[in-house]
Amino acid sequence: MEQLVLTLKEQIIETLNLEEITPDDIENDAPLFGDGLGLDSIDALELIVILDKYYGIKLGSPAEAKEIFTSINTIADYVVKNRTK
Amino acid sequence: MIQVLATNIISPLGFTTQENYQAVKAGKSALFCQEVWKGIPHAFTASLFSKEQEDRFLVPGFTRYESLVIASIKEALLHTDVNLHGNRTALVISTTKANVENLSMDAHADNSYSSPATSALKIARHLGFTTQPIVVCNACISGVAAQVLADRLITHGSYDTVVVCGADVQNPFVVSGFMSFKSLSPYACRPFDIERLGLNLGEAAATMVFGKDQAPHAAWKMVAGALNNDAYHVSAPSPVGEGAYALLQGIQVYATPASLALLSVHGTATMFNDQMESKAIERAGLSAVPVSAVKGYYGHTLGAAGVVETIVSMESVSDGAVLPVKGFIEIGVSGKVTISSEAVPTTKSNFVKMISGFGGCNGVVLYAQKEDFTAPVYQPKKIKTVRQVTITPQGYAIDGVAQAVQTNGKSLLTEIYKTHVGDYPKFHKMDVLCKVAFLAAELVCKDRPSTCDANQRAVVLFNHSSSVVADKKHLATIQKADEFYPSPSVFLYTLPNITTGEIAIRHGIKGETSLYILPENDASLMHTIVESTFALSPVKEMITGWVDCSDANLFEANIKLLTIE
Repeated sequence: MEQLVLTLKEQIIETLNLEEITPDDIENDAPLFGDGLGLDSIDALELIVILDKYYGIKLGSPAEAKEIFTSINTIADYVVKNRTK
Repeated sequence: MIQVLATNIISPLGFTTQENYQAVKAGKSALFCQEVWKGIPHAFTASLFSKEQEDRFLVPGFTRYESLVIASIKEALLHTDVNLHGNRTALVISTTKANVENLSMDAHADNSYSSPATSALKIARHLGFTTQPIVVCNACISGVAAQVLADRLITHGSYDTVVVCGADVQNPFVVSGFMSFKSLSPYACRPFDIERLGLNLGEAAATMVFGKDQAPHAAWKMVAGALNNDAYHVSAPSPVGEGAYALLQGIQVYATPASLALLSVHGTATMFNDQMESKAIERAGLSAVPVSAVKGYYGHTLGAAGVVETIVSMESVSDGAVLPVKGFIEIGVSGKVTISSEAVPTTKSNFVKMISGFGGCNGVVLYAQKEDFTAPVYQPKKIKTVRQVTITPQGYAIDGVAQAVQTNGKSLLTEIYKTHVGDYPKFHKMDVLCKVAFLAAELVCKDRPSTCDANQRAVVLFNHSSSVVADKKHLATIQKADEFYPSPSVFLYTLPNITTGEIAIRHGIKGETSLYILPENDASLMHTIVESTFALSPVKEMITGWVDCSDANLFEANIKLLTIE
């Protein structure tokens, strides 16, 4: 799980071009949207691509993914339970 | 104010304006579900030309997109005696992605690709135009923006006639991009309906030939038009339709709501667009004007949409009818609108076309057939340059004074950002073209708070290479069916006008934002466009100039801040 959390953070930082942010700067249970990392609607779509590309998880829309994308922990939980690759 | 001399629509529904109008009137839709199409791994619904139709419009030596433009313009010109020679007729093409389906990852493999501007020049010379063509590339509003430009160019006096052609074809490049945004409906779209699931893409070209207004004449007139920006988000409209509302409010100076036969909306059938439009319509006091929305017949034809929908509205009002909104059954927006799945007769003679697009831009045009309107006054302004900034891979200069730098190429952009900005992390998400334009805009505005209202400030940029660097990046994400992962943040920058939207958001600019693609860095043509924009819009301050990026390490910006004296 620890390794997955770190990998997810690295994938998010790279894909979303979060310059000057390291995995250590992202708290595992802090909100990703709004106050936390300040991600926006395009970032949410980009997270859907990450889950599809690296974990074979297909999500229909950002609305469907809203709860999954609450924090790094919630994404990691979902990936563990639903990954197909 | 200008006059419509002739029109044409070529779509899967027909090859002339009349064929198209009769098909729409008969309730025909060109939307079909594409189960397996050109390597796209998911089914989608779209309006696409059949092989037989393609064979009818293909011109030897030209691409599918170029052939479509040529065929549409040729058919429209059959109905006029316009003289293309003699430098008094301009060609304005509105498109979002032009020839992008011919773009190849391998520079040597395919030589049929040419950039939107080079392609426009090829089309112009083939048809016999002797002037330099202008490509309007403002995402979904391009077709309306091109009409606004035609009005300015003719009223300015630089041209007697302007031929506007809006065109886009569909291909994996565009379809995958919209898929990454989750914007596509698997079924035929349902504008303004409670069960709408998104948009359908479509292919079409549509042409309008404009001339000077020669009253009294029963012809259609484009009375007025305007563009603006929400300065809210690059891919989502203001939820309360801020920009669209301001335009609908502004256009009422020229015609009363009671004179409007219909209001042709964008009506893409995405959740956000239709909701936003309904709010804008209600706020502008236009709830009683019947809504027309034709995406259920044509899909979203991108650069052609604004032109197709204006022509269909003209035909419909001339025919005394507001056509049914195909796909609409039950209202699914919260703003109050008058919308119907049945045809409604009308005796009124004016209409408004509204449209919105990626980059936060909005557009509106007002058309009239009788004398029931007031025309805007053309007011030439004295323009002065406040500051000028140039950026190249080797360095940058402010008002001609070279600034000390330690790096070059792409690193130079990060250096300028760290020296002059530093607190805008979104910068790192931008593509190179956008970064260069963003930094140039920062430098021309630095330490100089604007004294104008937000809606009097504009961003008008010109380039040659469109968004070719981002285009190649997006193409790389869809090369193989088993590695098909188009990225929304990459696709976004394949619309070069996103650059103007980013600048608008950063500086709170809510006036016009436009991007024009030209065959070359033509100072005189750019001056004509800028001068006529100042004269026929509320703009008092403009960030404008050339910004081109043909390769990640090859960029050039020459941006000015202009005001009026």
